[in-house]
Amino acid sequence: MRQTLVYARMQWLQLVRLPGFLIPTLGFPALFFTFFDLGYARAHASVAPYLVLSYVAFAIIGVTLFQFGVGIANERATPWERYLRTLPAPVAVRFAGRILVAICFACVAAALVVAVALASTQLHFSAAQALRIAVCALGGGIVFTLFGIAIGYWCTPKSAIPIANLLYLLLSFAGGLWVPPSQLPAFAAAVSPFTPTRQFAELLWSALGTPSWQAAGALSIFAVLFGVLAAIGYRRDERQKYA
Amino acid sequence: MIAQLVDVRKNYGTRAALDGVTLGIARGELVALLGANGAGKTTTLEILLGLRRQDSGTVQLAAASTGVTPQETGMPQNLRVGEILEFVVSHYRTNRAQEVLEAFGLSASVKRQTGALSGGQLRRLALALAFAGEPELVVLDEPTTGLDVEARRSAWSYVRSYVQRGGTVLLTTHHMEEAEALADRILVMSAGRIVHEGTPAQIRRSVTAKRVTYEGAPFDPAAYGIEAVVESNGSRVTILTPETDELVRAMVLNGVKFAELAVSEASLEDAVLALTAGPQ
Repeated sequence: MRQTLVYARMQWLQLVRLPGFLIPTLGFPALFFTFFDLGYARAHASVAPYLVLSYVAFAIIGVTLFQFGVGIANERATPWERYLRTLPAPVAVRFAGRILVAICFACVAAALVVAVALASTQLHFSAAQALRIAVCALGGGIVFTLFGIAIGYWCTPKSAIPIANLLYLLLSFAGGLWVPPSQLPAFAAAVSPFTPTRQFAELLWSALGTPSWQAAGALSIFAVLFGVLAAIGYRRDERQKYA
Repeated sequence: MIAQLVDVRKNYGTRAALDGVTLGIARGELVALLGANGAGKTTTLEILLGLRRQDSGTVQLAAASTGVTPQETGMPQNLRVGEILEFVVSHYRTNRAQEVLEAFGLSASVKRQTGALSGGQLRRLALALAFAGEPELVVLDEPTTGLDVEARRSAWSYVRSYVQRGGTVLLTTHHMEEAEALADRILVMSAGRIVHEGTPAQIRRSVTAKRVTYEGAPFDPAAYGIEAVVESNGSRVTILTPETDELVRAMVLNGVKFAELAVSEASLEDAVLALTAGPQ
């Protein structure tokens, strides 16, 4: 545990000193919410919680895809990675450290969205709702963490940034995070239910009442899929580097 | 034995990087792997550290902890010297962070991010990291490449003090001088094999060969009982021999035509050539 904290601290220090990472991943979800949907949320109090939760999902997905996808793709190419392997620490500790930091960043990014909404709309979550939302957010976060790890191991450092961005934006749109699913254009509406982003959003929306087992099940399938991709990618990388 | 390799082989594609390497390092010993670039030194270290897998042969590492120098090029640029050191030390039982900062002249740079360090400072930080946790075995790949003379001397003196405390070191170098200054034992590597092994004194004796060059026809010193390796490239002849005086005398007495005769110290490549091609 102590070692996990040490690795988390290293990761944390590196990321907080990277404005190019920090500002977009932490600030953009709240910024987008303010620009595109705050007015609507103020005018339609019943829709506000759904919009806010969409942006919470958007925030969590951003942190995980970039911190894991881009981060791993960049780091695994460096000699420093080889050096870390010579230090007596299990690989699991490094992943755990990274996950811990991701949770912190995701909380900040999501909290900024909620803070904007709380400050300027009638939004109110009961304690029970907040707890259910937090649990569902964590669960979805795990799925996208695995997605990020898979991207990190299958992309080169150069391709990881555009690919992560593309997936992030396309899936957010198709998943109905910016425009409610009912208002998506026909082609997007058709693929929407098959995107992990939509299922994550469904899970969060349902957490306002009874969490949807259907969304949770769909996300579990995505988790297995991304987990397998990540594991194969990880093994492939290990074989190439340490053969 | 704190580390042992037995008949280790490794191919990169069709090229044999290690062609049956056997070596053992005892606790408290300082061993230098000496050889030209491409001789297989780095591959040997990587296999010992588990960064590469051998094709065949056995590797045993009995050290409870090892210290290694990272490559300077890949250090996280936005971490400070002190932070990296603290991070690395956290993996070990002993903390000598303060001591290595001083020993490697980094005390004034503790608060600087590694991205702002010079090449020499990065190199010294890399060395400091290998020793900071006082591991049982320190493995150094070309430890002082890129250091100025003064920094090299202080690095050497720290390595010595570490060994005096009971530490074990395996290092690679292509500087004869470095191997001589530090090592209890030198292993000379060439083309993936250990071709010679001995104390610095023994090695020095076997590589006292000097390089004699001249323009003219090749000459066979063996016919006069002189131990030598002869190479000719066009009209340029190079002879490696420990018996330069006898060689020149024999050439003059036998009327060998030569011009621009020069005698110089053998380079390491010459030494390795002499050891591999010599008559032992």
